[in-house]
Amino acid sequence: MTKPTNFPRRTLLKLLPAAGLLAACGKSSKTRLALNWKPDPEFGGFYAADFAKHGLDVELLPGGSGTPTVQMIGAGSAEFGIIQADELLLARSRGNDVVALFAAFQSCPTGIMAHASRKLESIGDVLRNGTLAMESGLPFARLLEKKFGFDHVKIVPSPGGDLTAFLHDENFAQQCFITAEPLQARRKGVDVKVFPVSDIGYNPYTTVVATSRALLQKNPEMVKNMVAAVREGWAAYLQDPTATNQKMHALNPSMELPSYTEIAQAQKPLIGASPLGKMTAERWDALAAQLKELGDIPKTLPASDCFVDL
Amino acid sequence: MRTALRKAVPAAIPFLAITIAIESLVRAGWVKAWLVPPPSAIFQTIVRDAPELFRALAMTSFGALTGFALSAAFGIAIAVYLSSSRAIQQAFYPYAIFFQTVPIIAIAPLLVIWFGYGLRTVVASAFIVSIFPVIANTLSGILSTDRALRDLFSLYGASRSATLWKLSFPAALPQILTGLRIAGGLAVIGAIVGEFIGGQGLGAVVDVARTQQRTDKVFAAVLLASFLGLALFGLINLLSRVVLQRWHASEQN
Repeated sequence: MTKPTNFPRRTLLKLLPAAGLLAACGKSSKTRLALNWKPDPEFGGFYAADFAKHGLDVELLPGGSGTPTVQMIGAGSAEFGIIQADELLLARSRGNDVVALFAAFQSCPTGIMAHASRKLESIGDVLRNGTLAMESGLPFARLLEKKFGFDHVKIVPSPGGDLTAFLHDENFAQQCFITAEPLQARRKGVDVKVFPVSDIGYNPYTTVVATSRALLQKNPEMVKNMVAAVREGWAAYLQDPTATNQKMHALNPSMELPSYTEIAQAQKPLIGASPLGKMTAERWDALAAQLKELGDIPKTLPASDCFVDL
Repeated sequence: MRTALRKAVPAAIPFLAITIAIESLVRAGWVKAWLVPPPSAIFQTIVRDAPELFRALAMTSFGALTGFALSAAFGIAIAVYLSSSRAIQQAFYPYAIFFQTVPIIAIAPLLVIWFGYGLRTVVASAFIVSIFPVIANTLSGILSTDRALRDLFSLYGASRSATLWKLSFPAALPQILTGLRIAGGLAVIGAIVGEFIGGQGLGAVVDVARTQQRTDKVFAAVLLASFLGLALFGLINLLSRVVLQRWHASEQN
């Protein structure tokens, strides 16, 4: 008689950890916006946004190197996320139905920086010799390979914003955010030359707010409010980033306050569009055609599926 | 051979069960294929990208094995040295613990500058990550020699080195081998992390596949890495059998 009564209790005890895990996974009432990096000026407009005004309770989730925001949106572990346009096309071609809503950066801030002392004149020159550190899985890297070939340059993994190797070796060039690492390198006393990847005609929308098709269909009003809040946030940040920079610096003190000010200023030319965040079908089509040619996606995707204009 | 096969059967059952479960969950649409690729897609990727994947596996194997061999040699030597006196132990053991805690990613830029991109960084990373369990287990094994036997040795006037090589070290072998088993798995992880920064082998494959959202390829590489870990584990078990079979209970049935 003891056995049947004991059994369920033991089973229950064994299941407890699993139950705890489930509880931890339970949905928070907040709307989550997953960032793909730590708080920094690239996200200024999101930190400046007054979500409450639009009836939203938004939690910004800082990320790190390789935070899979596009998968998080698709899997529902964040309602909104920051992605790059090419990531979205890749995700869509693999069946992850994610939709772009607002493109903060109209021009892609990805670039390659090299020591100015090498007197290089174009991105092609960077590939003539020395070492280039970059994420070779990214489409722009393969576009570079296709255009110039990697026969004379050694390609190594990107150190993710770390400058140690760059400062140590004059013939070392690396992938960068044109608004961030070059400023840091100059502060360390090294003069650099920066080549944006848009020079070779690769210019995906960057720092794009995206959501899942499911959420867009279920709650279009909330998505609309989100876009409105973000648009106002960016307008406010462009006008005066001081208070927001202080707020972000408190959250991410690893970067000094003057750097926030400097980067906020440097990124301004990359942002402008009217209205802020606007995207066009032509640019989505162009990017899809580029990715198809590179073999990243099996067939081009209609722009109308990729973004909505709210 | 027959016994090896018979041993493999119980282990194959959960593998098959999990494989079938994931496959059906994905096919039924419960789990998204872009999040968890179905095993069939992973196997297809392994077949289609075989030349690339197996070349990468060979590089990772070489890096991991070299790092592991260095860990085994230096780890045992360091532990023997540490066991020689209490003062030496107190002076240096804390620094051995350093190896266990060092976050490889944090010192990655230094590794690259010291060892350059490529194999040497990979070996260094595998070595750093895997040496500590060898030191800790060897040392603990040597220090827990049976006191009665130790007394017997000193009663017969055995020298220090005779006591070490004829008593303490052989008695520590089971623990040393346990240390090596742990180190084997860690060396594989260390090698792959080293490849993230050093840029070759399975680590580089995972890195590139991840940016391209090719989860099938990521999993294919992970699967190959775990086979490498298993192979290394098997190798150490074989060694353990050879060394301990004659006298230690753990290998006698």
